[in-house]
Amino acid sequence: MKQSLALASLIAVAALSAPLHADDAAPKALAIGAAIPMAGEKMKNVDGSAIAVADVKGSKGTLVIFTCNACPWAKAWEDRIVALGNEYKGKGIGVIAVNANDPGKVAEDGYDQMKTRAKDKNFGFPYVVDATSNLARAYGATRTPEAFLFDAQGRLVYHGTIDDNAQEPDKVSTRYLSDALAAVTSGKEIAVKETKAMGCGIKFRA
Amino acid sequence: MASRGLIPTLFLCAIGAWIVPAVADPAAVPATAARPTLTPAKAADVKKAIAAPGAKAVLVNIWASWCGPCRDEFPDVLKIRRDLGPQGVRVILVSADFDNARADAVKFLGDMGVDFPSFIKQGKDEEFIDGLAKEWTGTLPATLVFDGSGTLRDLREGKQSYETFRSMVEKVLKDGSARPAS
Repeated sequence: MKQSLALASLIAVAALSAPLHADDAAPKALAIGAAIPMAGEKMKNVDGSAIAVADVKGSKGTLVIFTCNACPWAKAWEDRIVALGNEYKGKGIGVIAVNANDPGKVAEDGYDQMKTRAKDKNFGFPYVVDATSNLARAYGATRTPEAFLFDAQGRLVYHGTIDDNAQEPDKVSTRYLSDALAAVTSGKEIAVKETKAMGCGIKFRA
Repeated sequence: MASRGLIPTLFLCAIGAWIVPAVADPAAVPATAARPTLTPAKAADVKKAIAAPGAKAVLVNIWASWCGPCRDEFPDVLKIRRDLGPQGVRVILVSADFDNARADAVKFLGDMGVDFPSFIKQGKDEEFIDGLAKEWTGTLPATLVFDGSGTLRDLREGKQSYETFRSMVEKVLKDGSARPAS
């Protein structure tokens, strides 16, 4: 009796501690230290060229940001993303923004709208279409915006959000991505390697 | 001074409304019948509402008025409340709308016929996300199911079907982990 009770308890504990799933088919996000996935995958840039993450790789690191036109969080952080991208592009960091949303689900994320946005907001780096959403899947990206920073050796050193206040830029207290970029370009250890924020679920193509 | 007392009062009213079993059919209530209340809440406030006695399972849906998949699945969340509320399922809605979109959130709730209190997220994102569930990436929509003792039992990100919501909740009902009402 005692044994069966113990077994039942174990089963109950196992059931309660079973991994919760975000989505049955969703892969886990890249772990810190992981290599750049699908680095050679060519994607259409807003200037019409085909560019892969490997093409923009910087001497000190590479920043890949999944973002989009429509999401209020992406919009709220957009100026800060562009400012960081434009600044660090000149400091040895390769920068690329990737839109993995299906424009069939979000018309505002169409290619023409991306071209307009990149021009209006002075993107000094490529803004490309992940035409299958497979790059996002390979990264385990789930939302926009979501940043992945790799070091000079192409190993993931930071994954997460831009800073700790999307809504009120003047009330930001911790600039996670900026701090990570500063550390990686100066060869220092990144203090906070993984962060979270709310964001719009990526509208994956089927 | 008055506003200091107002938020706790609103919060207590909100909790009270959850504790009292819902008998009305939310979808049957005309949009003009009651202005939806939206109480500012941090993760700890939502967790208090989750763990309040009386529920056998608690479904928390985090949504935003501008989020298409959130809007799409919203009627099914309300249908869960309607269909399974009498069996002890508590549904808690948390808007993640920005402060400047609060009116949109209230309008959407009204359009959906929501006449019971719900929350609007306050505070830092990461505190809110990890405060509710460390497994949650922060993506919207998100649906979390807790048992009666307030333990997280399931989490889904992205748009879900009525059948999925139902199976998430029924699994907890079947396991039977309700905390006795005190």
